[in-house]
Amino acid sequence: MDVRLPKIGDNADSGTVVSILVKAGDTITAGQTIIELEMEKAVAPIPSSAGGKVTEIKVTEGQKISVGTVLLTLEGATAAAAPAGGTPAPAAKPTRRAPVAVADDDDDDLPLDDGGEDGPVPGASPYVRKVARELGLKLSRISGSESGGRVVLTDLARYISKLEKAVARAGRYAEEPKGLVFAPVGTDFSVFGPVTSEPLSQLRKVIASRMTENSVSLPHVTQFDDADMTQIETLRKKYKADYEKAGAKLTPTPFIIKALVSALKLHPKFNSSLNEVAETLVLKHYYHIGIAVDTDAGLLVPVLKDADKKSLLEIAKELSAIAEKARDRKLGPDDMKGGTFTISNQGAIGGGHFTPIINKPEAAILGIGKTALKPVVLKDGKIEARPLMPVTISYDHRIIDGGSAARFTVDLVKALSEFPEADVKL
Amino acid sequence: MEPIQTEIVVIGAGPGGYAAAFYAADLGKKVLLVERDARLGGVCMNRGCIPSKALLNASHALTIAKESAHRGISFGEPTINLDQLRAWKDGILAKLGQGIASIAKMRNVTVIHGRGYFEDSGTLRVETGEGQKYVKFEKAIIAVGSRPAVPKAFDLGNPRVMTSTEALEIADIPENLLVIGGGYIGMELGTVYATLGSKVTVIEAMEALLAGADPDLARPVAAYAKKAFKEVRLKAKVLEMKTAGKQIKVTSEFNGQKVDELYDRVLVSVGRTANGQDLGLENTKVERDERGFIKVDAHMQTADPAIYAIGDIAGGIMLAHKASKEARIAVENLAGEGEAVNGDYAIPAVVFTDPEVAWVGLTEAEAKQKGIAIEVAKFPWGASGRALTYDRTDGLTKLILEPETHRILGVGIVGHGAGELIGEGAVAVEMGATAEDLAAIVHPHPTLSETIMESAEVFFGHATHVFTKKKAAH
Repeated sequence: MDVRLPKIGDNADSGTVVSILVKAGDTITAGQTIIELEMEKAVAPIPSSAGGKVTEIKVTEGQKISVGTVLLTLEGATAAAAPAGGTPAPAAKPTRRAPVAVADDDDDDLPLDDGGEDGPVPGASPYVRKVARELGLKLSRISGSESGGRVVLTDLARYISKLEKAVARAGRYAEEPKGLVFAPVGTDFSVFGPVTSEPLSQLRKVIASRMTENSVSLPHVTQFDDADMTQIETLRKKYKADYEKAGAKLTPTPFIIKALVSALKLHPKFNSSLNEVAETLVLKHYYHIGIAVDTDAGLLVPVLKDADKKSLLEIAKELSAIAEKARDRKLGPDDMKGGTFTISNQGAIGGGHFTPIINKPEAAILGIGKTALKPVVLKDGKIEARPLMPVTISYDHRIIDGGSAARFTVDLVKALSEFPEADVKL
Repeated sequence: MEPIQTEIVVIGAGPGGYAAAFYAADLGKKVLLVERDARLGGVCMNRGCIPSKALLNASHALTIAKESAHRGISFGEPTINLDQLRAWKDGILAKLGQGIASIAKMRNVTVIHGRGYFEDSGTLRVETGEGQKYVKFEKAIIAVGSRPAVPKAFDLGNPRVMTSTEALEIADIPENLLVIGGGYIGMELGTVYATLGSKVTVIEAMEALLAGADPDLARPVAAYAKKAFKEVRLKAKVLEMKTAGKQIKVTSEFNGQKVDELYDRVLVSVGRTANGQDLGLENTKVERDERGFIKVDAHMQTADPAIYAIGDIAGGIMLAHKASKEARIAVENLAGEGEAVNGDYAIPAVVFTDPEVAWVGLTEAEAKQKGIAIEVAKFPWGASGRALTYDRTDGLTKLILEPETHRILGVGIVGHGAGELIGEGAVAVEMGATAEDLAAIVHPHPTLSETIMESAEVFFGHATHVFTKKKAAH
């Protein structure tokens, strides 16, 4: 049997083979890592869907492959075992769709994206089940029009016509970036003076293509501001020792994450994604914050999950753990998945305002520069030296209007400069 | 000798094997069917389903005659001519066996009688009455079935200790019969012998008869057994058996006490064990589990890509109709016709006791064990006019429902003719029918099939013949 590249993540449907860990003649087990794939700015271990003896490796290192590509072939394969007995796939969860009215509109509850969990399997006759299986349709994604949500043949037809429409819509979007084709530039600089050429790493190539795509395909607008860090600096000094005792280094980043989450809660569009295929704005009720990490190999963005549910201490601890993992290139695909908003913090290095590129499909990105003492004119007209942190927000102007962005920036800066002590206390 | 070339060889001509052979032939394949017995049909037709049903039906006349007395119709003392009964039963088996053989001929399926032995993944040696024959095949389907399990301690080499195979030959009507194992085989054959006049004692290790059936469905059978059998001992076990002249001395343990008794015959019905030793499987890549069943994937394919396995030998519930379904799955997959998948269907189970017990899909016990939320709607047969006319109100029809959608996940029936009624349950489960559907479908009156419709109505609280509290329909 053929072992194919499985679906790895939301936007991870292709990648480059970095290394092949098995060879023809090896006996492997289901779940064993067979290749390492560079995707989404990370190297992901790819497990085998089945066990058996490897008869042939079908990919080579450096090859770009996508979901469904045959990786290798197995002999005497033992795939996932068939469920024993004849129970008719009863629903694990009691909730199930009630029958839906058959409407011909485009926007009913069709979950086109692959990200979501499959719902319970609705009722369907053996023939309908067979047709669906042969067409590769998952019944759990289809709304049945009959009693109890039962799926009948006309429901399959309706679903297919919706898929066709969705594909047509996706095609419309795909055309535009395709129109922008740049001829590769291969200037020979050695005619002007001595040079050294280095081959590009796979990660660099991935970064290059993602950055180009994101910067060209999204209408970026960047908003600038400064946050007064007096309060945070005071709190940081006051509680640094306590945090160290608890095993965490209290840097400004955990404060920024906390303040950001409180601003995102006030402005849900900043925690959203445009589903270009379904033409919907997806507002996320979870706050997974991507942290851009500068590594020797290049930029990596691990994700700190459920930041809204974590204390400052937990965030501080997790932050150093994931940054270390990123630098050691030990991040798995799960560590980089599901981000809702990204922070690029250059404060520790230096520099002022800069214009970060949005990490598509997120709606915006926060860029942080180095905090420095600057003169501030206070309300009473006096001038005082205050630690100011450069704050920039790049946002997707398709989703977010200028006014909203200004309001978000104001609230974010306010959340930073008035950081509540209660959130810091251990 | 030149080997015989074929596309497909099927080993075993039971309800799995002959169904596979015929279907493959219908799809245009060259098929060879190997059967070690002289007659086709396997255990089902020769030593299982069919002969046991013949005997159950024949002996049921005695029960009806006896029960008729209180309805004002009496007969004289019945006489039983065992030779004639046996001959009638054997006549059915012969007719069915010949039927299969002639259908095989019409479909150009070559039948070879002999034992099959795999030389490798493409060659089968068959030991026939006329010497060895070699078969070169592209694909093989193993359907060699199972046989009654006899624990070594019970194997006395004495014909008075019987398995279902011998019991179906009814050599005599023993005065005292011990049935070891209160599963469906023990209970069905126990019923035959009790009806014919034996004093039947059942010894069951578990705490209930008919393991696998929901307790409320098994209850009427236990009530019948209490009346018709001499004794049913639960949580009991046989420790030792010895030949004692023309009887068997049985030492058993029950309620913490050892009992020594003499029986004229003993039926060992403690389960069935996989055939498939001496098949030469070690010369192929076929893998078996620790109990001897062949491991297969969802397409009934074994670890050897050229070899499929179906029916009892492939593990799971041992029923003829499951084997026939798996035959279709195996053939469709090896012939590249569509993508049939094992495990995607419900297998009805029927126990032909008195009364019959039948179920399909999810059982209450299974739902409980797996933590699946269900609702149950029951219709007791005391409220069925038809059950009253049969004088058999010892029945119950119940629906296992998905609470949100009211989809029928399972149907369980105990009562007269439950085996025939469960077909509708299978249709309901497989079609994804809901309680609303079953309640809305007109069922003929007066029939027992109405109990299915009325169970659905009970669920909504407006069954005509039962008063219950209301529940809203969708």
